[in-house]
Amino acid sequence: MLKTTALIFGFNKYSLEIISNVDGKYRDIKIFSQNEENIQNDKYEIIHFDLSDEWEYIENNIDTENSVAFCVLEDMAKNIFLTISLRSHFEHLKIIAIASDKENANKLSMAGANKVVPLVETTSDIMANMIENPISNTVLHSILYEESNLKIAQIKIDDDSYFQDEKLSNIDWSRYNGIIVLSVMHEDMSSEFIYSSKARHHIIKSGDILVIVGYEEDIENFEKIIGSKRYVNWSDWSW
Amino acid sequence: MIQKLIIDVAYHLNTSKNYQLKKLYFYNLLENNSYKYKKYVDLFMVTLIFISVVVLIREVKHHVNDYLLFFSNYIISIIFFIEYMLRLWLSSSVSEIIVEQAEHDTFLLREIRLSKALKKVLDIKLNHIFSFNAIIDLLAVLPFFHELRLLRIFILFRVFKLFRYAKSFRTLASVLASKKFEFLTLAMFAFIVIFVSSVLIYVMEGNNKNSPINTMYEAIYWSIVTISTVGYGDMIPVTSEGRFVAMLVIVAGVAVLAFTTSLVVSAFTEKLDEIKEIKIIEDISKLHKLYLVCGYENVAKEVVRKLLKNKDNNIIIIDKNIQNVVEAKREGLTALNYDPGSVDSYKKLNLDFKKQITSVLCLHENDVDNVYTALTLKSIDKNINILSLLVESSNRKKLKFAGIDTIVCPQELIGLITREIVGKPVAFEVIHELRSEDAHVKIDEIAVTQRIVDNFSTIGELGNEEYRIVVLGLFRNKQEHFYFNPLDNTLLEIGDYILVIGYRVFIKEFEKYLLTKVNNA
Repeated sequence: MLKTTALIFGFNKYSLEIISNVDGKYRDIKIFSQNEENIQNDKYEIIHFDLSDEWEYIENNIDTENSVAFCVLEDMAKNIFLTISLRSHFEHLKIIAIASDKENANKLSMAGANKVVPLVETTSDIMANMIENPISNTVLHSILYEESNLKIAQIKIDDDSYFQDEKLSNIDWSRYNGIIVLSVMHEDMSSEFIYSSKARHHIIKSGDILVIVGYEEDIENFEKIIGSKRYVNWSDWSW
Repeated sequence: MIQKLIIDVAYHLNTSKNYQLKKLYFYNLLENNSYKYKKYVDLFMVTLIFISVVVLIREVKHHVNDYLLFFSNYIISIIFFIEYMLRLWLSSSVSEIIVEQAEHDTFLLREIRLSKALKKVLDIKLNHIFSFNAIIDLLAVLPFFHELRLLRIFILFRVFKLFRYAKSFRTLASVLASKKFEFLTLAMFAFIVIFVSSVLIYVMEGNNKNSPINTMYEAIYWSIVTISTVGYGDMIPVTSEGRFVAMLVIVAGVAVLAFTTSLVVSAFTEKLDEIKEIKIIEDISKLHKLYLVCGYENVAKEVVRKLLKNKDNNIIIIDKNIQNVVEAKREGLTALNYDPGSVDSYKKLNLDFKKQITSVLCLHENDVDNVYTALTLKSIDKNINILSLLVESSNRKKLKFAGIDTIVCPQELIGLITREIVGKPVAFEVIHELRSEDAHVKIDEIAVTQRIVDNFSTIGELGNEEYRIVVLGLFRNKQEHFYFNPLDNTLLEIGDYILVIGYRVFIKEFEKYLLTKVNNA
């Protein structure tokens, strides 16, 4: 299911990177820039905005409940102001923001961003992992960014699912060749590692999401056996 | 004929690998501070010195065991003599000087002037012989002739040899040497004051029967005791003139003392940074598994903090910006204000890139500096592993061209992360959680050792489920291939890495179990 619109605030190297990565995943991508010079762009249609704006354009043209806003202004104070301004106007809009560091990340969360990516911490996390655990880092990277055939998928348990009402610890996962189940996400949206005490006693219900790793073919087989499909539902998505 | 023989021998020695290796070995033992066995030689010598001094003190009022006396007088003297001769041998290469002269003269088509080379050798050797350290070394050998009672006191010269073995003494000497001129001025001033006051007090008090100062020697003794502000009080001037002189000397004494103190303090203050730097470099030379961080800005701070969570990691920071260095030092890190883009900086650091450095991290938040640093490092050692931050993705090619092995670009990361957040939010969170340093559940690598292979031949035998651990896969180092979710009958090989996911505590327990099963059996 495609979300309707991606609203990208800021026209800079980060927004260009985001555009190239989310292209095709939205019906429409709208780019907003404070800088009027950017508006005359041949490649992209750019809309001018300023922080005092009443957001009339968005209110009138965008289904904000099914859209995602990316706040990527490089000036952190403005980015925080933008986030708080969007949140105050659009209660249900999903907001993803970038922060220069942890301090600003906290402020952006407080301002109402659903997901914040702190640049310094993320970069240093990746670097430290590359140095300390090069093998696991490469494997995780290739799984996450699908650089190999190995994939990570979310399987939602439906009403008629094979596992319905079964205790998680009773399931013999070895029967499902090639699949490793990493965690289960409950209805209350809390993610539990498959071997945690809570998860072991958990009885699988409709609406639970299993996070599994495997090769495409094996994932497809798994889907067939258990009668559930890979699933991304934005309304379930919450942090 | 003799000349030809000498030149032949010189050529032979100069080209003999065996001879050069032996010379290098002794050089390392006696002179090379970074040689790991030198400290044992130093310790041995210091022990000998203390034995000599203890014997000397004991001998004053007690009988000392004959064997110990023999050891102190002869054996230690012989050891010191051998050391003296070795140092004389190492002070210059005679064969090299002769060969150089021979080559020079042959090139100019004239007769080889051996005398000139020998004169040069003699000059260098004499220079060494008359150096302060060599004189002390020689005097320390003299107690060998202990029958001459006066020479026994030369045992104390052995104490001066401590200068050679204790670095702090050398530092002290070098600090004081930096104020040579000031100390000389002070010495001259003190000498004049002592001389004038001694003469004055002698003139004033010498003929007074009630005065204890009757000779020039006593006058000098009184002057020195007074000027140093010690003032024993065993000799005091009795005449009014004498007391007037005393007042002048006391005032001058305070000045001399104050001047001396301020000189020593200022010498140390000025040299403090240098001394600290020397100490840091010495400490660094002993470290292994080093990460050299070039540039200490925002990303660098976080990376360093994360790396330091592993206590085996050692980190050195170099940055040309003094403020960054000060900040790193304030955080308790080893940081030097060196330019990462200069070959000279690495020469000063005296690092063995191959043995000591695991990886260099170029973390300037500026691509120009990172490229410059990378090229400097690669010009020193082209095999060195470099990880660099890339600020503008358009510069990626330049960094690759500079030979950087791993590039991390925050801008591109944002793109990738956004894609995952948008596409697979739950999966992204799970992977992100596994990578996060604070999470309870983590992914880890367990290296397969001989001991593990001896006890667990296949993946199925590991018993990971008991520890609530998921085996994600096996990385076979030989083939550099990752086997995801390997079958139970997959054989384990030494050098493999097992990738596991589980609770931190359980992973530790599991690793311990794998490594200690032999002992438990």
